[in-house]
Amino acid sequence: MTARMKLGAFLWATGHHIAAWRHPKAYVTAGIDIDHYIQLARTAEAAKFDMIFCEDAAGLREADVGIASQTSRSIGFEPISLLSALAVQTSRIGLVSTASTSYNEPYGLARTFLSLDHLSRGRAGWNLVTSASPIEAANFGSTGLKPHADRYERAREFAEVVTRLWQGKAPGHDGQSFSVHDPLDLPRSPQGAPVMVQAGASDVGRDLAARTADVVFTAAQTFEEAKAFYGDLKGRMAAYGREPDDIKIMPGVSPVVAETEAEAREKHEELQALIPDDVGVALLSSYLSISDLWRYPIDGPLPELPESEGMKSRQALVIEQSRRDGLSIRQLARHFAGARGHWRIVGTPAQVADELQARFEGGAADGFNVMPSYFPGELDAFATLVVPELQRRGLFRRDYEGNTLREHLGLKRPA
Amino acid sequence: MDNGATMHLAVSLLPGTADTSPGEEPEFSGLAGLVQRAEAAGIDMVLLVDSAPASSNNAANSTVPFEATTLLAALATVTSRIGLVAAASTVAHQPYNLARRFASLDIISHGRAGWNAVMAQAPREAANFSRPEGFSDTDFRRRSEEYIGIVQGLWQSWDLDALLFDKTRGRFHDPEKMHLLDHKGEFFSVRGPLNVARSPQDKPVLVLSGLTEADFDIAARTADVILLESGSVESAKARFDDLKRRATAAGRDPDAVKVLTNISLTAEDKPAATADRLETQFRAKSCDGFNIRLPQQRSALDDFADRVLPELRQRGLVREGYRGTTLRSHLGLAGGGDQ
Repeated sequence: MTARMKLGAFLWATGHHIAAWRHPKAYVTAGIDIDHYIQLARTAEAAKFDMIFCEDAAGLREADVGIASQTSRSIGFEPISLLSALAVQTSRIGLVSTASTSYNEPYGLARTFLSLDHLSRGRAGWNLVTSASPIEAANFGSTGLKPHADRYERAREFAEVVTRLWQGKAPGHDGQSFSVHDPLDLPRSPQGAPVMVQAGASDVGRDLAARTADVVFTAAQTFEEAKAFYGDLKGRMAAYGREPDDIKIMPGVSPVVAETEAEAREKHEELQALIPDDVGVALLSSYLSISDLWRYPIDGPLPELPESEGMKSRQALVIEQSRRDGLSIRQLARHFAGARGHWRIVGTPAQVADELQARFEGGAADGFNVMPSYFPGELDAFATLVVPELQRRGLFRRDYEGNTLREHLGLKRPA
Repeated sequence: MDNGATMHLAVSLLPGTADTSPGEEPEFSGLAGLVQRAEAAGIDMVLLVDSAPASSNNAANSTVPFEATTLLAALATVTSRIGLVAAASTVAHQPYNLARRFASLDIISHGRAGWNAVMAQAPREAANFSRPEGFSDTDFRRRSEEYIGIVQGLWQSWDLDALLFDKTRGRFHDPEKMHLLDHKGEFFSVRGPLNVARSPQDKPVLVLSGLTEADFDIAARTADVILLESGSVESAKARFDDLKRRATAAGRDPDAVKVLTNISLTAEDKPAATADRLETQFRAKSCDGFNIRLPQQRSALDDFADRVLPELRQRGLVREGYRGTTLRSHLGLAGGGDQ
């Protein structure tokens, strides 16, 4: 059997497009309607997605309340409770949630995810993040955001303790950031251990992933970037005694798909036109970790920026693109607001499948985390238009091969 | 509100007593069946205890293989009326995370969620949560009070009418109706707001247990439900009156705090004798109702629902079915939305 690509359905608020909630067909009350999420989960499961993926932040997304009030991202479900509800309303699809190593303790997090794993009979995964937002930091003490290197050192220790707990061991751990003595009081995971997902793309982030991750979620705009990242990360694994296939690299992709190319473009333009300038610029500012981008002329170029303590890799990506394509702040803001810095494909099912196939077969991805522009429409479109096309090409499964998330992803069962 | 005449009933399913045989895969469906049975019987709420590590040798020994808040979320999708209360430790969770989890559970359950905060420190918990030195009793009490205040404050981050969903004008919510907490206290500093919408029942129900008398003022100021261990009718009445007095002194309607007495039932108890025991305590005004602790077995719950409850209903001591849809409405608490 030839290798098949892995697919995640990245569920997020009213959609991944920043103005998604304003789309006439977007389900605007997504953040308070569990039935909507159950429906999305069932759609993704019927299309045989490997997993549902939930992002998370323990705080508002926007520093400015006026900007926040123009987006749908200020309220929503807390993802672990959301996925626990979905666990018993689905039977095969994997359930992955983000949780921060900066604002949790390893014992509690390991226990909670193991419980989700039992509820779902072996379909849970944890996406490790260190949290780069000062807005979140303010909800957990007054000392502010910790430097990037310190956050990753804490994350490394955190992941080490969680791994031992999931192995059923007593960590007996007294480290720099944590002390954890007893084993978990829950039985071992049905899939050996919940799946470990990571998204950090900085140098230390890549090392941590090479050492501990089962799945890596990345943002890469071009084929070259994606391929370079893929090669680099897989190359780091040998140092930790791991084989390249032990990690599945799944870049984010935000497709806008329709039967014809003209329809797809029209659909995309319709969404872009709904982005208010101040919202676009604010979002761009947050990727660049600066607060005063609005001071610069919106039709002028990006100013010179210092390297941030926030999301290093995302910042570099934005700056590179602005230089490469000579984009103004407004153009860049719209571009990034749309797919939030992720790769966007606008086209027919065959065109979308071509692009995915090229990256999958070209050694730039093991699969993709699909980020629909708005819900439920664009998830439905991907499920009914793109998935059958991928199946026809033999690139994606027609049915689940196993029952657990590890089985879907073709990952080894940990010792 | 005529709940003065009828008692409130909670059921606690005790861990370590499930029907599952050793080595068997943990089952959600069995637990769901029990909770659905309690719902069919019209019980106000089920309390999900959390089996946080009690000692270093109980690994994989638990027969409730689920952490309580995740279990609550799952149960919410297979029930529609019964209140669901999960224990969650103030040591294991940061207040912002806990407030968020329960606010989310409350929306998932359409206003049926409650948080059981335990006022006593769980043995060994601190050793697994990077607090090897633990807390002194007085520190733990002050910390708990501050913690509860933060959680209840965060639950008020959004006014009821804050969400506008106005696609045309591009106004998702009204920024004037979103509130920062800006808490800076002895143990915590939390800016807020919560990033979960307002509760369908105003806010999740706060259930306090594990109290000593030193916790009574905190409980009287903050709790919706207080669970007390059973004792003689006289001592229970004295504690009940004391708590209600303290609630009044704190400026609250004494009826806004429900005091439930913990009762453990076993298969040997005779239904009529059990009904007599509950009636005596209730009529003596020593409590607002009971938290019935049962082994996690279908037969024990069936016995209570089929034999004790009809007896109590016949005596007019327990209401027939649910009148509202939220936990607050079951408990006769303000903010229930549909009373």
